[in-house]
Amino acid sequence: MRAWQIFWSVSLLVAGCSFAFITVVVAIRGFEDLQDLFRRLHHQQDQDE
Amino acid sequence: MGFTYLDWSIVAIYLAASVAVGLLGKRFIGKNVSHYLVAGRELGLYIGIATLAATEIGTITFMYNAELGYRYGFSAFSAALISGLAMIIVGRTGFVIRRFREMQLMTVPEYFERKYSLGLRLLTGILVALGGILNMGVFLRIEGEFLTIVSGIPGRYLVLTMTVILLLEVLYTVVGGMVSVVITDFLQYVLLSVATILVSIYAVHYAGWNHIVDKVSSTMNVAGFNPLVNPKFGLTFVIWQLLLWFSLHTCWQTTAMRMFSTRSPEISRKVMTWTGFIYLGRGMLPMLWGIAALTLFGAGPMDRGVPSPVVNGRTLKSLDAMPAMLSQILHPGIKGIVVAGMLAATMSVNSSYLLGWSSIISQDVVLPMRRLLQKQPLSSRAQIVVNRVANLFVSLFLMFWGLYYTPPGAVYLYLNVTGTIFLAGAFVCVAGGLYWRRANTVGGYSAMLMGAAGAIVPFFFLHWNETIAGFAAFGLAAVGLVVGSVLGRPQNAPLMSVKGTTT
Repeated sequence: MRAWQIFWSVSLLVAGCSFAFITVVVAIRGFEDLQDLFRRLHHQQDQDE
Repeated sequence: MGFTYLDWSIVAIYLAASVAVGLLGKRFIGKNVSHYLVAGRELGLYIGIATLAATEIGTITFMYNAELGYRYGFSAFSAALISGLAMIIVGRTGFVIRRFREMQLMTVPEYFERKYSLGLRLLTGILVALGGILNMGVFLRIEGEFLTIVSGIPGRYLVLTMTVILLLEVLYTVVGGMVSVVITDFLQYVLLSVATILVSIYAVHYAGWNHIVDKVSSTMNVAGFNPLVNPKFGLTFVIWQLLLWFSLHTCWQTTAMRMFSTRSPEISRKVMTWTGFIYLGRGMLPMLWGIAALTLFGAGPMDRGVPSPVVNGRTLKSLDAMPAMLSQILHPGIKGIVVAGMLAATMSVNSSYLLGWSSIISQDVVLPMRRLLQKQPLSSRAQIVVNRVANLFVSLFLMFWGLYYTPPGAVYLYLNVTGTIFLAGAFVCVAGGLYWRRANTVGGYSAMLMGAAGAIVPFFFLHWNETIAGFAAFGLAAVGLVVGSVLGRPQNAPLMSVKGTTT
């Protein structure tokens, strides 16, 4: 049981840290991605017309 | 601690911002159905991660995972670990998703016409829509329960509250399609992640890590830590979950739509890999909240091996333990942020699911039927109109089914089984179709029908447990594909684009 306790504690730590880290990165870089998406969609619309 | 004016203000600002931002999407839709359904296939890595994570993390996710944690302790973490690892493996290997993205699909059943036949696409479309809408059917009630418990809204306003939220989601989804969904997903992902982290800190702070471990140990003994000896889990559960999560990450329409929407197959793989790490937290963190709720409030009469939660003298269901805990421990202001975060989670999931299932109805049920009846193909603009009507139809169904149907047993397992109705057959057909030359239409029909029967008959009619129903569905689907393909005539259908459905 002790081994399982340690295993789940480490897993939880990895899960929590990954979640927080990826959130910060995505919050910062995602905004640039969104602006790029708008530019590309406008470009596609221009080509369609 | 009640819901203060500060909390209400935070929630109102979030709702207004979300709908306003969502309506922006209309500017980028034009007349092109691929803009409406797959955002012009222009998603980059970070926005791809945000929209995929937001789509698959809802209040419903927090509720069922917390319930699993409350009932089964740390053993429940095994389900979260399997879901995350399966996603990372799919992302790293590109299993199914790379080929799907290269084929420029818009829906999963579209593949069935490329590989098998138009009729099988129609059958798959019907099964996918049926399973998906039934699956989503329980969302509203459970999300409503969360909101009423945490915010203190009287129960008699539950229907009204959920109707208003659903209407707001429908508004921007119908108007702006995938582009609106992606824009709002970004905002919602950031907010729901902040709420997740805040709640995790509060839960551990109030319950105390040592108390949490001691409570699980004293209540469940070794079964609370070792999933292999827990009667609800065990080796069969682990294998079923592996099959289920590989199929969910590859063939679940709302997940697959994100892969179809990325700029390239390489980006789709990276999105899947990084979101896999988020999936670990998506499962384990709310499970931890459930265990914290057990530690703080698990003092009532025993119910299936665990004490029922008692909050302010009232005995509650295990599903309601986590929101009841949040209503007690969060401070004013923080509670507003958390409820706004949960609303964000709710809206991102529901809007994506509405678009996902309505796209199946329009692209894989209505369009194939028209072709079978030899009617003229619909223009791109007409396809968007059909999708919008389907979206409204799905919303109406959800209003009635969601608010009046109560799922039996743990919600997580109900969702797994309803998903398995089509996932078992779809996954077997897709994997077999892509990686086994001999797979043919007879095998495809057999797999879809036997997979659906394998999930529906044992669970709904024979009342067997979910693990057996899941096993039966995947096993029968695999047998159906192999036997049907061996008995049927070999075919070499070229995987070319389908006229009028792909851009």
